[in-house]
Amino acid sequence: MIRLVTLDAYDPKVVDRLCKVLYTAFGVGCEHAGDMAVPAGQSEPFDAETLLAALPSPRAYADDKVLYLTQRKLKPRSLLSGELPTAGFALQNGPRALVSSAGVKDPEAGLKIIARHAMHQLGHTWELHHCLDPRCAMYPPWTLNFDAGDTFFDTFCRDKSEQKIRLAKS
Amino acid sequence: MVETPPPLTLAVGDRVVYPNQGVCRVTSVESKEVAGQTLTFVTMKREEDGAVVMVPEAKVRTIGIRKVSTRADVERVFSFLRSESDKANLDWKQRARTNVERMSQGGLLGLAEVVKGLQVLSELRPLPTKERELYDNARHLLVAELSAGLGIAEVDAEDSVDLVLFPPGRERPKRTAEEFRAPAGDDEGLELGDELLGLGGDLEVAGEGEAEPAEGEAEGEAEEAEAEEAPAKAKPAAKAKPEKPAPAKAKPAAKAKPAAKAPAKKAAKPAPKAKHKAKPKAKPAKASGKKK
Repeated sequence: MIRLVTLDAYDPKVVDRLCKVLYTAFGVGCEHAGDMAVPAGQSEPFDAETLLAALPSPRAYADDKVLYLTQRKLKPRSLLSGELPTAGFALQNGPRALVSSAGVKDPEAGLKIIARHAMHQLGHTWELHHCLDPRCAMYPPWTLNFDAGDTFFDTFCRDKSEQKIRLAKS
Repeated sequence: MVETPPPLTLAVGDRVVYPNQGVCRVTSVESKEVAGQTLTFVTMKREEDGAVVMVPEAKVRTIGIRKVSTRADVERVFSFLRSESDKANLDWKQRARTNVERMSQGGLLGLAEVVKGLQVLSELRPLPTKERELYDNARHLLVAELSAGLGIAEVDAEDSVDLVLFPPGRERPKRTAEEFRAPAGDDEGLELGDELLGLGGDLEVAGEGEAEPAEGEAEGEAEEAEAEEAPAKAKPAAKAKPEKPAPAKAKPAAKAKPAAKAPAKKAAKPAPKAKHKAKPKAKPAKASGKKK
């Protein structure tokens, strides 16, 4: 089950449609688990890793994945090979993912972009690696045409995520 | 003279890399009696899923187990990934062999070579399923070791690698087969080799031995052709193949093969048909066509 937690105010229609897209992509239920305030001590732009660690978890089962959605910006991450523009963050095989819709002015019109980033980060929580197919949502999200893509997993990533979800079922 | 590498001494708590398996932690080093012999076994636990493996201490080196890479090794890998060495091998057989070797040797640079080689190849055409799996495995092992070596999260290690392979703001290059082709001299050398093989085909055994790889190669080519999503490109290539081997070269091979092949393969059919000249002549011509 995917539990969607909003850190800012979103139109319920957008949240509903996003849940539908995620349900279609992963084949597991997705529901809005409520709103949550950003913990004290965090300032915009957020450090994705710190924020994700500081956020409290909603009630969930062991194999549930929690997706936090915010409208505020995330700080670019400093990595060994350079600075990385960040629109979301999730640990490999972790239970939680964070996605920012700061780059999308109208969440209703740009739902596809938000959904693609959400799919990408949730994919990491099911141990998916980056993909070679530019159409796939697991393609590196900082690339030029990522936002123009569809809410789609290529065959390899879809099979792998299905397998991981099946194995993780409690 | 073959240099023997110094023995790897492992202690409990050491982090090691087991080729094709990933990062493991040594949990015990103990002596056990097996078939009357006392052997020292190293027990390792895979960090990813806790799978346990026991290895005789004497075999640790030969298996390819090594300590987790240092920061210097990691930097060497990044400089390789940044380098312009973007050549991919178009020969699927050679490519598969070298990639499997690299994976079983278990070196960090070898893993990076597999990842980069297949990534470059994917810019020419989509990878076949097996290679896509290999790419994912290599990437998984590479990321796990980078993360263990640098003490960072796996997701950061993966993003670091991909920041180099897929730089932000730059479009993915579209490549053509010509970019990867070997210089013309190499092809001619291969043709000469084929002719020499054809001459040697007078012997029955040589004829039989030659037929099998040709079939295997054809299968592999078919697999690759299936994987290619650009039918426009694949079709002319497939058409060109049977037309090519018409000249003199095909004939000696055709003479050599029927003698070896016909009785063995057509054993179920009546004898006079197998001896018939028209049929065997047609078959080897096809086989040599595929081979080219």
